[in-house]
Amino acid sequence: MTQFKDLDPLLHSQLRLAVVSLLMNVEVADFSFLQEKTGATSGNLSIQITKLKEAGYIEVTKKFSGNYPQTLCRITPLGRQKFVDYVNALKEYLNPEKNI
Amino acid sequence: METRENQLTSQESLKIITDMINKTKTSINQSSFHLLFWGWLIFFCSLSEFILWKFTSYATPWYVWFFVVPGVIVSLVYGFAKGRKDSAWTYATGLYVWNWIGFLFAALVLYFISMKNMESFGPFILTLAGMPLLMSGCILKFRPLIIGAFTFWIFALAARFGGPVVSALSTPAAMLTGDLIPGYLLKRKNSHDTV
Repeated sequence: MTQFKDLDPLLHSQLRLAVVSLLMNVEVADFSFLQEKTGATSGNLSIQITKLKEAGYIEVTKKFSGNYPQTLCRITPLGRQKFVDYVNALKEYLNPEKNI
Repeated sequence: METRENQLTSQESLKIITDMINKTKTSINQSSFHLLFWGWLIFFCSLSEFILWKFTSYATPWYVWFFVVPGVIVSLVYGFAKGRKDSAWTYATGLYVWNWIGFLFAALVLYFISMKNMESFGPFILTLAGMPLLMSGCILKFRPLIIGAFTFWIFALAARFGGPVVSALSTPAAMLTGDLIPGYLLKRKNSHDTV
């Protein structure tokens, strides 16, 4: 009988998964980049980024670029590992016969 | 995008991941600026040197190459200022930038090595410049730059084995065919992609 792994509940959410997927492909991205690519509202994005940060999946740095505040996000080794685990678990759901 | 907690199907999750990966595909905004800036600068320097050497009695036509020094400063300042404004730094961007910074240092080393025999500098620098051009074409997945690298190597052979006139005209010809034409094609592609 096929044993399905549980999907990480922190990543199994539309916006958080989108953010982590974006950060997997860039070294660093600022808040406006994530907002533009996900199409999320700033309030919602901010909440989800905080959740990912508190779980240690991403690092958040705040700095000033000229006179404007800038929030920079980058994925941590833990976040990278969790994303890989999530994708592997997803593969099992999509191709269950390969995992018998 | 809303936040749906734990209601995603496997297919929906996969689609989100695929969509986001596609949105971070290589787009290096500055790439065509540097190609065109250096393309025109080297084109005019090499052509001016040829004209001064062939058609005037000016003793030191190679002085035109001093324009490269402010060129390096302009390129670095522009790249740094633009890079600070970029909202994301991809792995491809890092590879692209270090590819050209590496070439800059290699070209400097080559200049000092060739100081006693500057006639060999032209073919060597064209050969060397072909590599970052090839790498840029591969990083950006842009075939005209890859072809451009091969034209650099063909003109490097012409510069080494052709006569003095062919040798002197090899650099502007290489810049025109291997750098400027691909540079303008890349600029056009970037403007189409961002529309």
